[in-house]
Amino acid sequence: MSPVLQGILTILIGVGGCVGYFYFSNMILDKVIFPARGPKAGHNINRANQVRPWLFLFPALFALGLYLAYPVVGSFWRSLFDRSGANFIGLGNYVDLFGESAFRTAVFNNLLWVLVVPAMATFFGLLIAQLTDRLSWGNIAKSLIFMPMAISFVGASLIWKFVYSANPDIGIINALRTSAGMVALDPLQVRFWNNFFLMFILIWIQTGFAMVILSAALRGIPEETIEAAIIDGANPFQVFFKIKVPQIMGTIVVVWTTITILVLKVFDIVYTMTGGNFGTHILPSYMMTYMFRDDGRATAVAFVIMLLVLPVMVWNIRQARQEMR
Amino acid sequence: MDNIAGQNKGGRLAVNITVLILVLLWLLPTVGLFVSSFRDRDQISNSGWWQAPLAVDLNFRTRIATEPVREENGSFILEGNVFADPGLRDRFPDGEGVVAAYGTRAVDPAEFAAGEVSDLRAGGTVVIERDGTYRIVTPEAIDRGPTLYFEARTPPRFTLANYQTVLFADGMDRAFINTLTVAIPATIIPILIAAFAAYALAWMDFPGRGLLIAAVVGLLVVPLQLALVPLLSLHTSVGIGQSFLGIWLAHTGFGLPLAVYLLRNYMVGLPRDIIEGAKVDGATDFQIFVRIILPLSFPALASFAIFQFLWTWNDLLVAKVFLPSGAASQVMTVKIADDLLGSRGGDWGILATAAFVSIAVPLLVFFTMQRYLVRGLLAGSVK
Amino acid sequence: MKSRLYAGVATLALIAGGASAQDLLIAPGTEGFNWASFEEFSAAHDFSGQTVTITGPWLSVDADMVRNTMAYFEAATGATVNYSGSDSFEQDIVIAIQANSAPNIAVFPQPGLAADMAARGALSPLGAETAEWMIENYAAGQSWVDLGTFPNPDGEHEMFGFFYKVDVKSLVWYSPDAFDEMGYDIPASMEDLLALSQQIVDDGGTPWCIGLGSGAATGWPATDWVEDIMLRLHSPELYDQWISNELAFNSPEVIEAIETFGAFVHSDGWSQGGPEAVATTDFRDSPAGLFQIPPACYMHKQASFIPSFFPDGSVFGEDYSFFYFPSFAGKDLGDPVLGAGTQFAITRDSEATRGLIEFLKTPIAHEVWMAQSGFLTPHSGVNLDTFRDDSLRAMNQILLDATTFRFDASDVMPGEIGAGAFWTGMVDFVTGTSAEDVANAVQSRWDAMR
Repeated sequence: MSPVLQGILTILIGVGGCVGYFYFSNMILDKVIFPARGPKAGHNINRANQVRPWLFLFPALFALGLYLAYPVVGSFWRSLFDRSGANFIGLGNYVDLFGESAFRTAVFNNLLWVLVVPAMATFFGLLIAQLTDRLSWGNIAKSLIFMPMAISFVGASLIWKFVYSANPDIGIINALRTSAGMVALDPLQVRFWNNFFLMFILIWIQTGFAMVILSAALRGIPEETIEAAIIDGANPFQVFFKIKVPQIMGTIVVVWTTITILVLKVFDIVYTMTGGNFGTHILPSYMMTYMFRDDGRATAVAFVIMLLVLPVMVWNIRQARQEMR
Repeated sequence: MDNIAGQNKGGRLAVNITVLILVLLWLLPTVGLFVSSFRDRDQISNSGWWQAPLAVDLNFRTRIATEPVREENGSFILEGNVFADPGLRDRFPDGEGVVAAYGTRAVDPAEFAAGEVSDLRAGGTVVIERDGTYRIVTPEAIDRGPTLYFEARTPPRFTLANYQTVLFADGMDRAFINTLTVAIPATIIPILIAAFAAYALAWMDFPGRGLLIAAVVGLLVVPLQLALVPLLSLHTSVGIGQSFLGIWLAHTGFGLPLAVYLLRNYMVGLPRDIIEGAKVDGATDFQIFVRIILPLSFPALASFAIFQFLWTWNDLLVAKVFLPSGAASQVMTVKIADDLLGSRGGDWGILATAAFVSIAVPLLVFFTMQRYLVRGLLAGSVK
Repeated sequence: MKSRLYAGVATLALIAGGASAQDLLIAPGTEGFNWASFEEFSAAHDFSGQTVTITGPWLSVDADMVRNTMAYFEAATGATVNYSGSDSFEQDIVIAIQANSAPNIAVFPQPGLAADMAARGALSPLGAETAEWMIENYAAGQSWVDLGTFPNPDGEHEMFGFFYKVDVKSLVWYSPDAFDEMGYDIPASMEDLLALSQQIVDDGGTPWCIGLGSGAATGWPATDWVEDIMLRLHSPELYDQWISNELAFNSPEVIEAIETFGAFVHSDGWSQGGPEAVATTDFRDSPAGLFQIPPACYMHKQASFIPSFFPDGSVFGEDYSFFYFPSFAGKDLGDPVLGAGTQFAITRDSEATRGLIEFLKTPIAHEVWMAQSGFLTPHSGVNLDTFRDDSLRAMNQILLDATTFRFDASDVMPGEIGAGAFWTGMVDFVTGTSAEDVANAVQSRWDAMR
């Protein structure tokens, strides 16, 4: 069967299956198990309504459990065993990892990424959102800045090689340096700072995301509050920092969190730009050096990533529970 | 007037200029890639992409053939034109050009001015004129022609050859179809599943609802890499193995938390009276969902669809793990990373083109669906 | 003679059935090739309707060549061969084996990886018969058998890998024009090579183009350097101990080799762009310096495959040539050669798969690829006249002249070392870490694996 046909068939079966599942399971519930007629009609309706949420939820819960919850538990269990998977070594993998200086560097770099990337992306996003707010060509500007979101990480890395290349005939930074009479250098080999050059790639990608959401939030601020402030003689900077920013604080935090989560998953940029050399490893890329070789270590690294995200996760859960009220 | 600096003309100008600079800064890297995709390997390594529209002085090498040789007054004479060298055909298609200088050693390709007669190391003399005609006079017949070097101004040149290589690479059409085969079901199926779950979490009352919402939010942050190894073993043990079915399921699982999270946030914001009105009229939850919630949630559904589509289209890692590596099931990212980059790795022009080809469809999707994206995201995060 | 040849072709056509001679790169009967082995194989095997799947590291041009060669197996037996290549073959095959969707045959460039797979029970042994055949028919057959022999899950040693296609690594590429113009001679000893390098610097040139960049595999070209130097500084026995870690990675002998390599990179003006450029320049880009005008460098050390990455239209003998990476005249270690090779291993057994391994024993399977390019072989029964050009013949000569042949150490070491710590260690070394620190780091990673 040709893949096109197969694809179309799958879409039909998949979509039809989903719709069919929801439709027929509801029908069976209402008509067969708890029919809304007969002596116990009222009771049956109540019972049906107790079961129905689970019908709606079942596929999602099943997929989430199988594809996310199970691997988390399974991986943790795996991380307690040695490379062959046969011998239980407790926290041995974790102890060994923290003994490796390369791993400690990766943890440190990862913390830098988590602090810098969301902050900068949100900052640039907010700045551009505010500046383009009443600009006649603001939408075009926003589209262009949003564009990197559509580019894969591998494509983005390639794009930035044309910026960072040490060869002044390829990399524009070194072309500028040499034309200003300085020696060409490889930005990705400048210890410590090279981390920031790599981070900038992700900032470049994510600023568009932050900008779109924050610009919408800015427009959602009631005009009256701003007008009142202006009448009171506030200058534009005061209006922005004292009136606008506090009102969209909730959105800023959501944007910040979303980008933080992303940062902890991205390994492609480091992997393709430096391969983790020159002291640029972060945990997801460090994990790749163990992947399919020593699964015990690899899953242990993954678990350390989970631990790093834990505060964000807890905070998000609390946020979600507050919203419910 | 509530712009930061929007109160006067100067301020507005400053804002315009700042935004312009930022946009250019953001655009510059991509422009570099775009220009490079129209240049060949030599051009890219010889001059920066920002010099692409300018004529540049380049050095060339030509090996003089020993025929046709002519004997005159006891000397052997070789004549011809350096621009006629078939190896330089693609640089000087009409066989014409202007020689600025020439040399007989690669270390100093512009040692002598055009028209100046110089000595050959093996004996005899050589001269190259501005129009490229050369004349070599040797006391004895030679069996190996000398290698000459010359400097000539070459006009800017753009080529579609890279696109030809990438687009018509063996199996690229198949890879394109495979990518669509992966991306479309992997976008639609999670949306459907998530929509129902989001509705239940937003508008149905049942014990444990808060806990479930918290769990979904918690799962948002699970690193994908964690799941690859255990899931592959799971797929293998239930007989799915590496297949399209496997990758659809995997993408569905990985995309669900964000889908449920975004859709629930949106649905919670829908007006309560419409839904309660419908309930009073005797509509079942299923009817409410299909007739009211789905149409009203369209922006949120579309925005998630865009995200998921971009993600599955650009994905390399999941495809490498869950699809077999053969040509029959390669997707475009794998094709580019494992086949093109491996065999043409040093060829920046090909790399640039491959990157552009792979982002063309996402960009198209993005620019056509952009309006929904903004509306949907807004609902998901603005309170 | 001629009539017998035609008769052979006729029987061939009969045996091959539907497969027409036009599909084959070299028409059966072409002079010089061992068609008798083809006919004999064809007569003895029939796998009509069966399919053999192969995955390996060869891409584009190389992939075409392997397909061209396998076409003869198809013509002889009626089987179908599907080859697919990947740049990340090493990962893909591990995933495929875990997912139970392995091909029939995997082509391993690294014995270390093949050994891992054999230990997991993913490979089928080739049998004692094949090992005996190889000892008899391959030059230095025993050493090839040893390189393809690994412990199975029960710890017993069996032969799993069949070497087919060999590369020579001890080569230095240069431009004959540039050497000629500057009056440089091909160095006959390592001492001469070092002197020549310094002379080039004194003449205002740059002797070496070195590039370690290779995406996630960045650093591997430097491991070849260190291995080649190791063989020129110390005995082959010590080299073997180094591979098995009987000789610790941080022992003075290894550090000496790393530091000798360091001279090529770190000496003032010896490497194009200096150590910083060496660390990141893509290995596929780095030979470009030989062809620039004026030349950015005069020499480039790389294995026999590198001409595929030379500028289009470069001609062997005119634009480029190579010489043997010489040994120290002052050391009595002979002329060692570092090489690599790919081994075919069965990852999913079938009758036709076994047949394909048998096919690899026929001289014709080697000669057909020799007539294409990039193929060297230790098979002693092939006609060397079938090599397509002089460059291959010259390389094969280097292989035959070798007093010692050793396999690429990093490919034989465990993956975490040979395809991990050793690579990154070399990048660290090039960019300034001391040889001791690098060697200690690699050794500690090795220790951690126990």
